[in-house]
Amino acid sequence: MTSPSERRLRKEFLELIKNPIPGVIIDGEKIEKNINEWNVTIIGAEGTIYQGETFELQFLFNDKYPFDSPSVVFIGKNIPEHSHIYSNGHICLSILSQDWTPALSVGAVCLSIRSMLSSATKKERPPDDLIYTKTCSKNPKKTKWFFHDDNV
Amino acid sequence: MSTTSDLSVNETLPDSTASIEEEHASTSEIDQTHRSSTQYSFTPTAENSKTSTKPDAAKKDDEDDEDKRDDSMFVCNICLDIAKDSVITFCGHLYCWPCINCWLETKRPQLCPVCKAAISRNQVIPLYGRNSNSQQDPRSKKIPPRPQGQRTEPDNNQGFQGFQNFGDGGFHLSFGIGAFPFGFFASSFNSFNFNDIRPRNGQQPGSPQYEEDQFLSKVFLWVAMIFFCWLILA
Repeated sequence: MTSPSERRLRKEFLELIKNPIPGVIIDGEKIEKNINEWNVTIIGAEGTIYQGETFELQFLFNDKYPFDSPSVVFIGKNIPEHSHIYSNGHICLSILSQDWTPALSVGAVCLSIRSMLSSATKKERPPDDLIYTKTCSKNPKKTKWFFHDDNV
Repeated sequence: MSTTSDLSVNETLPDSTASIEEEHASTSEIDQTHRSSTQYSFTPTAENSKTSTKPDAAKKDDEDDEDKRDDSMFVCNICLDIAKDSVITFCGHLYCWPCINCWLETKRPQLCPVCKAAISRNQVIPLYGRNSNSQQDPRSKKIPPRPQGQRTEPDNNQGFQGFQNFGDGGFHLSFGIGAFPFGFFASSFNSFNFNDIRPRNGQQPGSPQYEEDQFLSKVFLWVAMIFFCWLILA
């Protein structure tokens, strides 16, 4: 008996295999082992400052998904240098916390992150990167985010 | 004066309407003839093209595809399954009732997951298909009934701010001296009646606090009565 969250994740997984999103690669083998933990590779879009780079995203889902947002962080050595991405991999993106809705999906989040990367014009860390990375919790969902920049 | 003018209008009206109707009739006749001629010339060729270009197998595939597309149109936006106990929001987005109800209960303000329009429990329409075995409102089953509204009376004795401290226990105490001894009576009876009609918030009839209040208010009523009698007799 699979839980509703696993059922929905399986559907999303099958859909992404059937209709892959350009620039987004999912690690199928790992997902088969544990449906609640996804590793997704994002390829920097052509013509942007991240062209040719690859980044790794980690999605962690709890049993309240899709009513509760997944925890999404960049992992690995290459964490994109972006004004909304902290050096520990945490992402300041409204749809990952207060603006999350169950109609969103892994694919939609990947697309949002990819477009957020694509619209950046220069590589820089957020101004409060040092303070935040020292004081924050390991789980980005525990951070109280303030969203101020609607452009990027 | 007025009657004559009315008559004249009545006389002129039928003529004008008749003429308009005639015009309509003539134009529609033209339309009909035009249409019939075009239908006659077009329909056979359309049928021919259908039967000649598409073999039966291809036709079947098309139908299957169409079926799939139709099915995917009725997928719940939350669980990604075909919507069961389906409801539709005013903004036109389809959900299973259990799914959307769960979302409505988890987050405030209540927004449509797809378009973020404001929605609520009463702003969704249940959908009944031809073969749905029950015409029961999906909102009425499976989901625990919503809690009953809790209503608290507003404080309406704003004119007596000074007695608020005494009024908490459900009774009022006032001192009438000199020309206003009746104040006792009025306030005591007021509190007595109030307690009978509508118990204050948190005091259900039967609870120890309620009984205590009842007892206290009766005691004070008697004290007031005795004091009043003493005033008259003295």
